[in-house]
Amino acid sequence: MLLKNIQEWTLLLLIFGVIAAVGNWVGYSVFPVSALPGMVVLILICLAGLILQHVLPVNIPSVAYIGIIGIIVSMPVMPGSEYVVKWTQDINILALATPILAYAGIAIGRSWTDFVKLGWRSIVVAMFVMVGTFLGSALIAEMVLRMQGLI
Amino acid sequence: MADQLKGIWKDWRLHMLVFAIVALTEWIGVFSFTVGPGVVLLLPMLYAMLIGLGLFFTPVVKKKQALNAEPLIVLGVTLLIAKIGVIIGPSLPKLIEAGPALLLQEFGNLGTIFLALPIAVMLGLKRESIGMTHSVAREPNVGLIVDKYGFNSPEGRGVMAIYIFGTVFGAVFMGVISGFLATITPIHPLSFAMASGIGSGSMMAAASGSLVAAFPAFSDDIIAFAGASNLLSLSTGLYMSILIGLPLTEKMYTVLTRKKQRNAEIGKGA
Repeated sequence: MLLKNIQEWTLLLLIFGVIAAVGNWVGYSVFPVSALPGMVVLILICLAGLILQHVLPVNIPSVAYIGIIGIIVSMPVMPGSEYVVKWTQDINILALATPILAYAGIAIGRSWTDFVKLGWRSIVVAMFVMVGTFLGSALIAEMVLRMQGLI
Repeated sequence: MADQLKGIWKDWRLHMLVFAIVALTEWIGVFSFTVGPGVVLLLPMLYAMLIGLGLFFTPVVKKKQALNAEPLIVLGVTLLIAKIGVIIGPSLPKLIEAGPALLLQEFGNLGTIFLALPIAVMLGLKRESIGMTHSVAREPNVGLIVDKYGFNSPEGRGVMAIYIFGTVFGAVFMGVISGFLATITPIHPLSFAMASGIGSGSMMAAASGSLVAAFPAFSDDIIAFAGASNLLSLSTGLYMSILIGLPLTEKMYTVLTRKKQRNAEIGKGA
């Protein structure tokens, strides 16, 4: 069962990786061959996190494992971290985000009928909810960073 | 996630479509224009989402593709998180130094209550406004409201409305306003980077992506701060709502509606 899953994850991550690598080439001029080591490292980090989540009995989302593994393998004290950092630098983060949102656009079409039922008042309030959350956090961060003299 | 993944790699129609969308949108590149003193940045990821949404209404995308696309968002986000991880690793000392700001800005997420709740009440919304404005309405917050008031309550309908808006247009909206606000206000891009982590992977990517495009010199710091803040929001967001957000919203709602009622009475008297 786990092996079957690993096979599915690997295939899908590879497909996603190829699409992102092409975006990385077209949009950020990184030739796919030079992006290859970085993409492989990222896919391996994802696989490690997905497998850990599957094997360990605690209920922590896989992204938490993946984030932590990514941090650990790139910390300067880790042997080989300089390669991880150097290779993954060739993968532009925006090139990873574009395919995610392309898939998301296709998927959220299913929520469209719910969306058009929202009244204009809900839409106005929703925009202020996001602006309020965003500005609130930015203002506090600004105050603290200035007090600490970091910016 | 295990069962739903079966055989999705074979959905070549879906992958080829996404491939074409990505190649086209990355080729178009970033488009920006100025509005007064601010800059609005439109990133390839924003057109990619809108094109994907548009294709859903054409015969090119069938229901099967829309269903199969969902787990790929999750898998794509894992790659994004891995990339954020390897950016955070080398800048860990910097993040620890900025730790107090990172932790305290989480309270800024309550800003929605002070800004959006009065507007909701002004627009004549009743108890829906509590569900709408107590938080940014991602999955844990929806769960909390449904658990406390029920799915078919006014509060439940309110939180679902914001959730649906966020799902459909959250990333596009955050991408546009983050670049714009960062260019018209004197607030530092790194403060906005921390603010970008509001507990949704795609909104964080869009908001911090615009910041990176507007301030490329801070690129790695922006991603590290946004990523760390998003992880914090994901892990603290629910407790923030339970302990502070929701009680505060209830309280403010009572105050605001009482004032409104009194004003209405005075209006009638005069």
